[in-house]
Amino acid sequence: MGLESQFMTFMKVVIPIYLAAFVVYMLSVLRGRSVPDVVLAVDCMSFDVAAFMAILAVYFRSTFLVTGAIVLALWAYLLDVYVAKHLAEGEVGA
Amino acid sequence: MSLGSVLFYIGMAMIFVGAVCDVFGALGMLRFPNFYVRLHAATVGTIGGAVVPLFGVAILALGANFLPHRYAIAGASTITALIILLVAPAGSTALAYAAHRSGAVEWRPGVDHLKERKEMDKSAEGCRDD
Repeated sequence: MGLESQFMTFMKVVIPIYLAAFVVYMLSVLRGRSVPDVVLAVDCMSFDVAAFMAILAVYFRSTFLVTGAIVLALWAYLLDVYVAKHLAEGEVGA
Repeated sequence: MSLGSVLFYIGMAMIFVGAVCDVFGALGMLRFPNFYVRLHAATVGTIGGAVVPLFGVAILALGANFLPHRYAIAGASTITALIILLVAPAGSTALAYAAHRSGAVEWRPGVDHLKERKEMDKSAEGCRDD
């Protein structure tokens, strides 16, 4: 069995695990216990979606999906910092 | 077994470890009792669930001879992994600091050394004014 067909079989196992993790993260986002909790869950989910996009880039053989992952990771960090600034100082100014 | 297939299998193992860490991080995020404990689950979810599989994709792409542009995919996933490795702890720390300072989360700690320290500093400043 070649490497490619092994990878495709492996993806049939791994993709459902990742999707299950996203669903569980989504549950804790929708539960909405407090603002930092929701932001933390969205943050984790964004980083994991970025990793999943890199895996899909190998699956679909496309380089462009990985460049999207870089932007997504930075965007999640931006969300963290803005919300933290808003909670600590009460504003998002300089 | 060639070097390429060894790299390929190492990458596959890292992707699988990442998937398992991802599930456990998500379950911890759902089930842990308060925000500061959930930060630990967030670390499992980001470092174990995102950085490890991204390095895994990079190693796998280096070994995958069926993949077009495999060096581009490997390089971009390494960069993404390094960005997340630097950025995720910084973001969690900022969020924890802001949550403690604004009192936005409910928790019943046994001890809160940061709060005690702040009160001590405040009373020391009061003494200096006298």
